[in-house]
Amino acid sequence: MSEQQAYEPKVVAFLCKWCSSAGSDLAGVSRIQYPANATPITIPCTGAMSPMYILSAFNKGADGVLVSGCHIGDCHYIEGNYLARRKMHLTMELLKFIGVEPDRFRMSWVSAAEGAKFAQVVTDFINDLEPLGPQDKLKKVVSS
Amino acid sequence: MINIQDIRDTARDMLAKGEVRAVIGYRRGTRGMLAEPAFITSPEQADDLVWDPTCFHNLSLYLVEDRKFLAHLNKSSDAPIAVIAKGCDARSIVVLLQEHYFKREDVYIIGVSCEGTGVVDERKLASHLNGFQASNAVFDGDDFVFTTAQGEKRLPAREVMADRCLECRNPFPKENNVVFGEDKTGRELEAPFAALARFEAQGTGERWDFWSHHFDRCIRCFACRSVCPMCYCDECVVDSITFPVTPATTAEEKANRIRWIDRSATRSENITYLMTRAMHLAGRCTDCGECERACPVNVPIRLLNNKMEREAREKFGFEPGASIGGPSLVASFLDSDPGDFIR
Repeated sequence: MSEQQAYEPKVVAFLCKWCSSAGSDLAGVSRIQYPANATPITIPCTGAMSPMYILSAFNKGADGVLVSGCHIGDCHYIEGNYLARRKMHLTMELLKFIGVEPDRFRMSWVSAAEGAKFAQVVTDFINDLEPLGPQDKLKKVVSS
Repeated sequence: MINIQDIRDTARDMLAKGEVRAVIGYRRGTRGMLAEPAFITSPEQADDLVWDPTCFHNLSLYLVEDRKFLAHLNKSSDAPIAVIAKGCDARSIVVLLQEHYFKREDVYIIGVSCEGTGVVDERKLASHLNGFQASNAVFDGDDFVFTTAQGEKRLPAREVMADRCLECRNPFPKENNVVFGEDKTGRELEAPFAALARFEAQGTGERWDFWSHHFDRCIRCFACRSVCPMCYCDECVVDSITFPVTPATTAEEKANRIRWIDRSATRSENITYLMTRAMHLAGRCTDCGECERACPVNVPIRLLNNKMEREAREKFGFEPGASIGGPSLVASFLDSDPGDFIR
């Protein structure tokens, strides 16, 4: 490769099956343009998010992690996102505590009708991640 | 002032009457002044029990070990087991009870109040003894008195106390069957979370420099996990013991098995391990400080747990080990939980 490629942040997006996945789908079928840096992983509910998933994504080289689910009160499992809110808050605080940039982790509520919002969330996230550069703090170093 | 003879009498009495199977307490150890955990099973042994500033172990760990041992033998508890518990240890027991790890009637809590002082921090003490080893330590009001080859040395407890004891909010074991010592709740020698606040005053960069240095030094001996009464999982996320490797297991199967954390002691894996541990202890850690004491390379693990404890307290109004019947931190929620970080 002759030219240096521009830095493209890699984002792992954990999307809940009932809202945000459908929201991202709507963004697609509505042909809304947004950065293609986010790799979606569908989870049954944000309440099923383990902090382990976030740490593991960073460990395997993600530059940012997005967790998105149903709005408060709209959870398919009634209270999953309430539990997620608490757990993700703790995870985020712990990441900040050890000195990981706060912008590397983001959480959002995106309903199935909010395709435009999903595109906006991803665009904002990528814009915030670009100045930070590659994430190498938590990334596994594979010796050659 | 706690008279050790009272504790010995209680233990002897209970063992003689057969009210308890054993008394878990402290006795004189073989390493200088340090006390060691003791398992007293006959009334004659009760005189071995001691209570001094080196009784820092959290003995609720052995309640967990005992339950695991009984489960292994496929037996149930025929009589309760008595345990000597300081304020922090008693809170650990409350968390274990809250999680239904054992039943309340299976444990007899002999509470001891850390009155004006707490327990000693060996590392702090070492810098005061000019290279000498102490052979004995006793409480004396707000001081500790150590016996060394140079004679007696009296030190204000504040100077050699463990950090967690300086910041302790609840030195009195509220959950108890019998309790020795006065309730000195509110004696806080330093503001709660003082060390944490000092650390957090630094910027993101300095915090990362500090933690990356310590994460590099972790040797993954898992002493913190072994010494923690809350780390009772049969299978820990760091070791995949339930992955059966048989002669028929293919290389592909071995390569593709889920490995959240590698066993290598490299920075990234140490971070994942220590952070995961902090998350698993959120709302359960009662700040007994054993992980930090057991750490052979002095990783300040307590800071991570402290951070979670303070978040739980300030944002969710949650106090670990406050009540047996209450919900756990991550399995409950409030409408008022902070949500402003969510877009």
